[in-house]
Amino acid sequence: MTSPLIKRCLAVSIISLVGLGPVVLFVGGAQASYKVTPYQTSRKNAGTPNSTMVKKNSDGVIIAYGNSSITYRAPSAALVTLGDALFQQNCASCHGTQANGVPANGTAGAFPDLVGLGPATINFWVDSGRMPAANPRSIEASRRVPRLTPHQALAVSAWVNSLSPSYPDIPYPHLKNANVADGAALFALNCASCHTIEGDGDALAMSTFSPSLRKIPSIEVAEAIRTGPANMPRFTGNLSDAQVNDIVKYVTTEIQHPNNPGGFGLGGLGPVAEGFVGLAFGVGVLALAGFWVGERDD
Amino acid sequence: MSDVINTERAKKQALGPYGRVGKSLDELDDRLGVARAGRTFMDKIFPDHWSFMLGEIALYSFLILLVTGVFLTLYFIPSSAIVTYHGSYAPLDGQKMTQAFASTVNLSFAVRGGLLMRQMHHWACDIFVGAIVIHMARVFFTGAFRKPRELNWIVGSTLLILAIVNGFLGYSLPDDLVSGTGIRIAYSIILSVPLVGTYLAFWIFGGNFPGTIIIPRFFILHCLIVPLVIIGLVSAHLFLLVRQKHTQFPGNGRTEKNVVGSPMYPVFIAKTTGFLFIVGGITALLGAFAQVNPIWQFGPYDAARISYAVQPDWYMGFLDGALRIWPSWSFHGWGHTIPFEVLIPAVVLPGLIFNFVFVWPMIERKFTKDNEIHNLLDRPSNVPMRTAVGVTMLSFLGMLFIASSTDVLAKFFNVSLDTVLVAMRYLTVIVPILAFPITYRICHEIQTLHGGGRRKTPNVVARSAEGEYTATPSPRYVDDVPSHLEAAPVPTYIHEESEESGESGVRVVDR
Repeated sequence: MTSPLIKRCLAVSIISLVGLGPVVLFVGGAQASYKVTPYQTSRKNAGTPNSTMVKKNSDGVIIAYGNSSITYRAPSAALVTLGDALFQQNCASCHGTQANGVPANGTAGAFPDLVGLGPATINFWVDSGRMPAANPRSIEASRRVPRLTPHQALAVSAWVNSLSPSYPDIPYPHLKNANVADGAALFALNCASCHTIEGDGDALAMSTFSPSLRKIPSIEVAEAIRTGPANMPRFTGNLSDAQVNDIVKYVTTEIQHPNNPGGFGLGGLGPVAEGFVGLAFGVGVLALAGFWVGERDD
Repeated sequence: MSDVINTERAKKQALGPYGRVGKSLDELDDRLGVARAGRTFMDKIFPDHWSFMLGEIALYSFLILLVTGVFLTLYFIPSSAIVTYHGSYAPLDGQKMTQAFASTVNLSFAVRGGLLMRQMHHWACDIFVGAIVIHMARVFFTGAFRKPRELNWIVGSTLLILAIVNGFLGYSLPDDLVSGTGIRIAYSIILSVPLVGTYLAFWIFGGNFPGTIIIPRFFILHCLIVPLVIIGLVSAHLFLLVRQKHTQFPGNGRTEKNVVGSPMYPVFIAKTTGFLFIVGGITALLGAFAQVNPIWQFGPYDAARISYAVQPDWYMGFLDGALRIWPSWSFHGWGHTIPFEVLIPAVVLPGLIFNFVFVWPMIERKFTKDNEIHNLLDRPSNVPMRTAVGVTMLSFLGMLFIASSTDVLAKFFNVSLDTVLVAMRYLTVIVPILAFPITYRICHEIQTLHGGGRRKTPNVVARSAEGEYTATPSPRYVDDVPSHLEAAPVPTYIHEESEESGESGVRVVDR
């Protein structure tokens, strides 16, 4: 038999294992308190009018450029006055009256500086309902019913752009020229790692989410790819306009209206939902059938 | 006329009392002596409790797996050769993919009934493993694994492991984006084994991941080797079941020395055949109306592609969960790396769990010092220690299972993924620790309940002429009054009628 000393040592080590184990285990968890800055730094000049067709107005300012896949259009200069008024009403309380991210009683850096971001960025955030934000201090603004109409969103981007004209302009994809199969391959390569292969979106690290792509209009998909809102990387050099067009076509057709035989899709939750149905419905109903077939007195 | 009738009658008489069938069986018996075995089989007594049907769900879903699986092998091409897809699913048109994936897409879109068969196969697999687990839980909590049935417990546990392994192999075969990710994880798990991991991985995959040999190899394992072993072990499982006879719950006239229940023929065979059709029907319903694993949306596997929010099938969930929540520990030194964050949750942990399952009957015998033969089952509440251990293990596995869907939980409840992850680390430790004393306590509470588990009898309330109310309990149900049942002798000849006990279709035989 073991001596009492060894027994005591064993007991102490077991108790300390049980007690300290969880503490050691959760050291990893304690590291989770990173400094969180709610906004990305400004991104200038996502795309430039270096393509084949460039249209200028009488003053020599570029108003549209692009190719057979995507046409980028600057918002009409006629909307600037309306945009100014809308911006002062809806945006200036945080972004400042000059859109430079300095509110009247605040300090620089508290909110994003919008000058020089390009019309596509401004239009995406306003048109998708993310701005004006429901909670200005939240890590991520999620998609909502937009407060401003598409016309008003264009006006706001026109005014912000007028402060310091920059690119990319608002992309209008020509889906007729797109190849959906190429789009599927590019989607799997570039987008599925966050948005999931079925486009449902999911939770990412640090309270951020990749949104579902099920109801996004084509212009916003193109804008998001070209400008990289919030956490999303900005895809510029590595995706040509034709490739962006292919992805937009895949998202707006096969992701949003899939040819998807095989019965109810179980919410697109994947194997979690499948396991739940298999256990709860499959095994559960069969156990009930067994309960019905067998005796149940005891 | 009468001559004709007489001739017919004479012919019939020459065939004996059971006609052509009986005659041919007679011929068979003369040569092989099958009557004895047939008699034993037809007189096999099945206790009628409903929980005894759970194992049959597993057996019948395995039959469905075999049938649908044979159909799938007719169209599936187990090859990693790269082809360009030109089929009816437009978004994949012109994409390069392995033949395994292309043939699975074709099987789903171009073969009549192919998708139904594929979905039935997948659902039957989910049900198969699930039924094994609940069958196993029934056997565990009622103590049916005790002497003399330890061997059958080990056979059954091996079947569970084989079912999980074969499920994973089959899930990997289509070579879609999600299953390819699963193979990649399996490859990394093999790599994590110290010293031999690299050699082992290269040996299995025929070189570096993904290579071209793994799909054909998985195919041979999935369709030939593992099913053969499963069929052999299922036969052993059933042979032992017939040889050792069923356990039964204690009750009216049931003792350690007898078996009370329906004979295989004619009562139980009707029940169980009906049950086979129910299992087939439910699987077909699921296959027809619930989509499983839409590989055409996932697209072909390519080592550079990955989809977020990928989980394995539910029976691999506990492994995935353990991998997700384990802290990132690893060892680097002397030119070697040992990734404990993979090794412990994916190799050591399942090894410990299954070894614990295997040796549990021996552990229990060691502690209870009970070396008796047990044919009567325990009510789980009467054995609080075993029940508490079982609930602890199940809750631990359950928490790991939930941990495999951290991202789904974070999305569904709109909380931070990191919060869910840290919470699951705590819960996986805390919930099992809490489950043990709570279960133990509940079992004790149930034990002290008066008349727990018995049918309640109504009280008869009477009012006397003076207006006084008296309540007297009515007598117990006839079935509930303990009685001694006379065992019916097993008939020695096929057509001999046996003594039936009071209840219709119930027979008592000596062991």
